[in-house]
Amino acid sequence: MNTPTMNLKPLFMPRTHETTEGNKTGSWRYLRPRYEDKTSPCSTACPAGEDIARIEMLSAQGFFKEAWETILRENPLPGVCGRVCFHPCEGVCNREGFDSSLAIHTIERHLADTAARNDLKPALEKLASQPQKIAIIGSGPAGLSASWFFTMLGYACDIYEALSEAGGILRWGIPEYRLPAPVLRTEIGRIESQGIRIFTGKHISESELNKLRGNYSTVFMGCGYSRSTPLGVSGETSESVKDGLEFLRSVRQGEKPSCQGLSAVIGGGNTAVDVARTVIRLGGKAAILYRRRRQDMPAFAEEIAMAMEEGVALHELLAPGAIEAQGDQYKLILRKMKIEGQDKDGRGRIVPDGDKTSEVTVERIFTATGADVAEPWYNPPSDKSGAITLSHCQIKFDKEGIPLVYGGDLTNVTKNVTQAIASGKQAAMAIDTYFQQGRDAIESRLASCRVGDGLSLSMEVYMQGARRLRSSHIVQPEEINTDYFQFEARVVQPRLLVEERTGSFNEIDMRISANLAIREASRCFNCGLCNQCDNCYIFCPDVAVIRGRNMEDRHINFDYCKGCGLCAAECPRNAVTLEREGL
Amino acid sequence: MIEIRFHGRGGQGTVVLTTLLAHGLFKAGYEVQSFPFFGVERRGAPVEAYLRLDKKKILARTNVTAPDHVVVQDQTLLNSIDVTKGLKPGGWILLNCSTPPSDMSRFGNNRVAIVDAGRIALKHKLGSRTSPIVNTAMMGAFARMMETPPMKDIIAAIREEVPSDPEANVAAAQEAYQEVVILGLITSEDKK
Amino acid sequence: MKRVLEGSHAVAEAVRLANVQVVSAYPITPQTHIVEIISDYCAKGKMNAKFIPVESEHSCLAALVGAQSAGVRTFTATSSQGLALMHEILHWVSAARLPIVMVDVNRALGPGWNIWTDQTDSLSQRDTGWIQLYCEDGQEVLDTTLQAFRLAERVNLPVMVVLDAFFLSHTYEPVDVPEQKEVDRFLPSYSPRFNLDTRNPYTLSPLVTPAFYMEMRHDMALAMDEAMTCFAEIEEEYAALFNRRYGSVEAVTCDDAEIILVTSGTITSTTRLLLEELRAKGEKVGLLKMKMFRPFPVEAVCRALGRAKKVAVIDRNFSFGAGGVFAQEIKAALYKLPVRPTVFGYIAGLGGRDVTTDILEEIYIKTRETDLPSQESIWIGLQEVKYAN
Repeated sequence: MNTPTMNLKPLFMPRTHETTEGNKTGSWRYLRPRYEDKTSPCSTACPAGEDIARIEMLSAQGFFKEAWETILRENPLPGVCGRVCFHPCEGVCNREGFDSSLAIHTIERHLADTAARNDLKPALEKLASQPQKIAIIGSGPAGLSASWFFTMLGYACDIYEALSEAGGILRWGIPEYRLPAPVLRTEIGRIESQGIRIFTGKHISESELNKLRGNYSTVFMGCGYSRSTPLGVSGETSESVKDGLEFLRSVRQGEKPSCQGLSAVIGGGNTAVDVARTVIRLGGKAAILYRRRRQDMPAFAEEIAMAMEEGVALHELLAPGAIEAQGDQYKLILRKMKIEGQDKDGRGRIVPDGDKTSEVTVERIFTATGADVAEPWYNPPSDKSGAITLSHCQIKFDKEGIPLVYGGDLTNVTKNVTQAIASGKQAAMAIDTYFQQGRDAIESRLASCRVGDGLSLSMEVYMQGARRLRSSHIVQPEEINTDYFQFEARVVQPRLLVEERTGSFNEIDMRISANLAIREASRCFNCGLCNQCDNCYIFCPDVAVIRGRNMEDRHINFDYCKGCGLCAAECPRNAVTLEREGL
Repeated sequence: MIEIRFHGRGGQGTVVLTTLLAHGLFKAGYEVQSFPFFGVERRGAPVEAYLRLDKKKILARTNVTAPDHVVVQDQTLLNSIDVTKGLKPGGWILLNCSTPPSDMSRFGNNRVAIVDAGRIALKHKLGSRTSPIVNTAMMGAFARMMETPPMKDIIAAIREEVPSDPEANVAAAQEAYQEVVILGLITSEDKK
Repeated sequence: MKRVLEGSHAVAEAVRLANVQVVSAYPITPQTHIVEIISDYCAKGKMNAKFIPVESEHSCLAALVGAQSAGVRTFTATSSQGLALMHEILHWVSAARLPIVMVDVNRALGPGWNIWTDQTDSLSQRDTGWIQLYCEDGQEVLDTTLQAFRLAERVNLPVMVVLDAFFLSHTYEPVDVPEQKEVDRFLPSYSPRFNLDTRNPYTLSPLVTPAFYMEMRHDMALAMDEAMTCFAEIEEEYAALFNRRYGSVEAVTCDDAEIILVTSGTITSTTRLLLEELRAKGEKVGLLKMKMFRPFPVEAVCRALGRAKKVAVIDRNFSFGAGGVFAQEIKAALYKLPVRPTVFGYIAGLGGRDVTTDILEEIYIKTRETDLPSQESIWIGLQEVKYAN
């Protein structure tokens, strides 16, 4: 046909029909790669053990519902925690040393708000119904959490709440400008929709508790610390010194107590700051008096800074000494303190600065130095015989072996919202294990659900979800291949202006757009989590990485993998582990 | 062999003028060769292009330094360029201008023909007032001055090679053919 | 039909007539007109070809490696630094035995930025395994480009068709453009000897160990030798259809010549003009035009120059530390002769400087008046330069 190219001399050229399939380079291997998801430091630091690397991956891909559901597997209150959790996750973020940590709480809040706005219903795994019924006393974060997780594990739960509305500290202790009531109601509504019954206005007395123990297989005590501890100084009366928590509760109940003139707030925790800022919003002036220094305050640094922007005065190294009534006012005598050495927790140790004192005359005094139970019998008994003491709860058995669980503030070393959630979760796991496998199994079962090496527990792991395969190795910053990441500024939380803040109880932190949320979530290194970036596939010189339809399908063809380790080296997020080949 | 040099400004279509004339002359039976001055083109800068014609194959592959004739597309070039440089004595200078230059001495011992190609181009809506496209009008004037190529070849070349509005260009060439003014040989006597 | 065409346009017409299927190019003066016209043809459907714009000449030739391996006829054009940037892939193409055709418009290399003609760009690629053919006028450009596809596809080596910047690429002159039907008889549609095929998979350009590398290179050497004889056959076929032939070299009045000027590219034309004048004066002068540079036509060169007393090689190029490239190659070719003419090497016209008949005559007279060359390379027309302090 093609005359000009007929009778051509054959070519001897670089071309071969032999395939390289016969060359099983896998026989050269002395190192073996393995896909192994690992634990991100944020997850370990999160008391609720949220699977943050995965939440951010899903958010970055725009799968907001799935990301939200991933939170709900470990934490029933993302709308609350996105706002008031002090986010220890961000403090250990591997991105911190690269540019700045990820705004994990901002994304969490965005996911919760998006779910609420779209009235989303979570599709979560739930185990088969169990015959046992659980009673929960108190509808604060610990009680709500316990009910959520007990329900997941198949138990029917009833919650008994003394006040008119559920939420505990979330409803009555945290001011509206940090946690608006509709947000909390949405969260509680979703919890109730799982079949949990909440009986409000139902105060349980000690005798009623014993009755409950007859009707339920387990009672969870989550009554919390709802009373401020007294100052313990001369001149302290119910007239002269107001309970800070009581004050916050009255405001959230709709009262507008007069706050004219100067109020002294004694304490350095979040309650102290909340009280002071509430006073400002009610038209008064507030001064926080703290026996240590600003940097030693347990309150969140950002809250302190905002309080000062709003006009709250802060006086350090002053301890209350005595109170004298002066007509309608009170003279507060303060002992001056000084720093001498260090306490065990690293804060400066304070001692009285000789006899030095100072005075201040105020309209009223609030105490916010600490909190305690409302009724002494809420506390777990000091007799620990026969009890099981866990990190976040204590289980006491009666003669019939019916467990009584103390949780939340009653047992937690650190008392905050997310620790309370952790307590509810731990209680649910422990009691379920007790029912299913007996008391002796509790310790090891819980240990197998730990997130990394910390105290956080994962309900997803407990329920044998996909992420149980994640190893407990916590990804270190040096294990991230940062060549694959670019510097990108952290999202800036939009806020009301100071003038807008002080005039009302409107929520200060504003929402962010979905675009910003996706961009922020995209900053996440996804430490230890394969997000199918395909780097291993691209770099494998032996085409030994086999992609699948999903993450589980991805695997390595060991006929050809020669163990060069490029997949592990080029994995941006340490989701590939390299091990010595066995004999 | 006849060698002709064309002067113009970047953007005036000087190179196109020489190639159009090459097409016309080829139709008239000449061997032709046309090429631009090999440089960097910039709008408004003085440019040059060249045309060779002969009855036999043209072998010279060099620049034109001693042209037989010169074509000037823009009269303002006279202020900055010696258009007669290397021009052989008795050669033609075809000049686009509205009025004859007052000082003819600068053209030396050469024959001059003038045509108001700018006016003709605008009349036929070729280009804009700031930059009329004068090259096809210059073709007509060239044909009259050189007595070759015949207008039919000029017209055919325009119709084949000019992509936009060839008829207006044909009309401009024809009008310039009629309007070109031969000022004749300016002798050294005339200069005095 | 004869039409007045620019040299660049003659290339584009040949590429259109050759039914090229993939063109890739990166623009560089003075190659630009070639690819402007071809891309226009592709866009308007005058050519049924895919035009691939790329971000560099290196990518350009790499794209053609892919396309030609897939089994289609391909073309590109470049110049100067562009060709230099292709250097790595030039080797690849020839060793992969891909019959790619490229036009190089000779342009000087920078710095000393210069867009004008100079052969150093193409001649410095002489060891890349590409066949190189130098052209004199627009007609030869068109004819040679068509022949290049036949030659390349016959021996499975790439062909570079070379033309001078501006003096040829930008010059309009009458060119006979053949009819498509006629061209199709000479150059049928491409039928690859191998191509990437998923039904018959194989590895192209795999590792070749010392056990076979020499044999592979030797096969390329044989193909290059074969190109010499094939070119003559292809020219005969072309002449039968179109009545034009050029030869790997062209000897003009060499039989009785005492002095023979050796030229390439457009300088040849101007030298023909001088030759007429000198012969008219009774000078025994001849002209050898070098069209084919790779493979180097040793036999033809020896035949043409063997009887002369002196040979003046005019190089519009320079190899530093050696001399004019054509002069070196001519000297090497003549070495096999028992009695050899004296070879004078002249360097002229670098960077587009005009090589006029006056300059050529100066070369001729210098050669005639001297017994032996004063230097290995004699630079013509050098001005005095002032050195900066």
